[in-house]
Amino acid sequence: MEANVAHVERILAIFFGIVVFFVAVIALRNDWKSQGIENQVFKIMLGLLALGAILGILAALGILIGKGVA
Amino acid sequence: MAVATVTHPGFAGHAEEPDQLYVETRELRIQGFLLFMVSDLVLFSSFIFAYLYLRNSGQGWPAGGPKLDIALAAINSIVLFGSGATMHFALENWKHGSFTKFANWIVMTIILGAGFLSGQVLEYIHIGARWDSGIFGASFYTLTGMHGLHVLGGIIYLTVLLLQAAQGKYTYTKYTGLTLGTLYWHFVDVIWVVLFSIFYLL
Repeated sequence: MEANVAHVERILAIFFGIVVFFVAVIALRNDWKSQGIENQVFKIMLGLLALGAILGILAALGILIGKGVA
Repeated sequence: MAVATVTHPGFAGHAEEPDQLYVETRELRIQGFLLFMVSDLVLFSSFIFAYLYLRNSGQGWPAGGPKLDIALAAINSIVLFGSGATMHFALENWKHGSFTKFANWIVMTIILGAGFLSGQVLEYIHIGARWDSGIFGASFYTLTGMHGLHVLGGIIYLTVLLLQAAQGKYTYTKYTGLTLGTLYWHFVDVIWVVLFSIFYLL
């Protein structure tokens, strides 16, 4: 049962991770030419959001797993 | 999504250009908020470096400690990162003059934030470690708890912003408060990228 739940969680994480990654990249591309200090911070944060989505996908795939993690 | 359409002064008739005082203080307000975020970043950095130092100075890690659930953490992280995307949509829709879409996206952000907190509580229940059961427990609960409080604060903050927007406090040319709320929510997301990496991926 727990294995099934974990399996579903992994599939959902991969699917929505891909969605979030593309949304962040597209938003970053759309905002790329915007000016102002807040928009510069937004760009950094959208980039890190895309990175976070990739890390989430890799973790769900079991490619990146730390010590003491099941 | 079932969110009532609210007609508010921001879009009903206040299409005025920002006044001089607003223009002059806007940058200062944003810079002040960024300074607050930097100070918060320093707070998190202190705890993160303390955790990494303790982790690398110990024999084996986590020594007899709990097993973290990577599947739950992965989906929970994606939920939080997804809330960053919905918050971005909320601000973009405000800029384009659609209050209803703004309200829908910000409500979605709040729901996803609450979902993340629920996942965090689930992790706490299943982790099998207490905050006083060793260095790992202390570090894990301190950092994730501190982050959770920021998420909770963010949910309250966004709720207040939504209510203020519905009352017509912001217009589509004067919305610095909404920009700051979006910045804060992205900040909370980005902090989790680091915490997720150090606890679950290293």
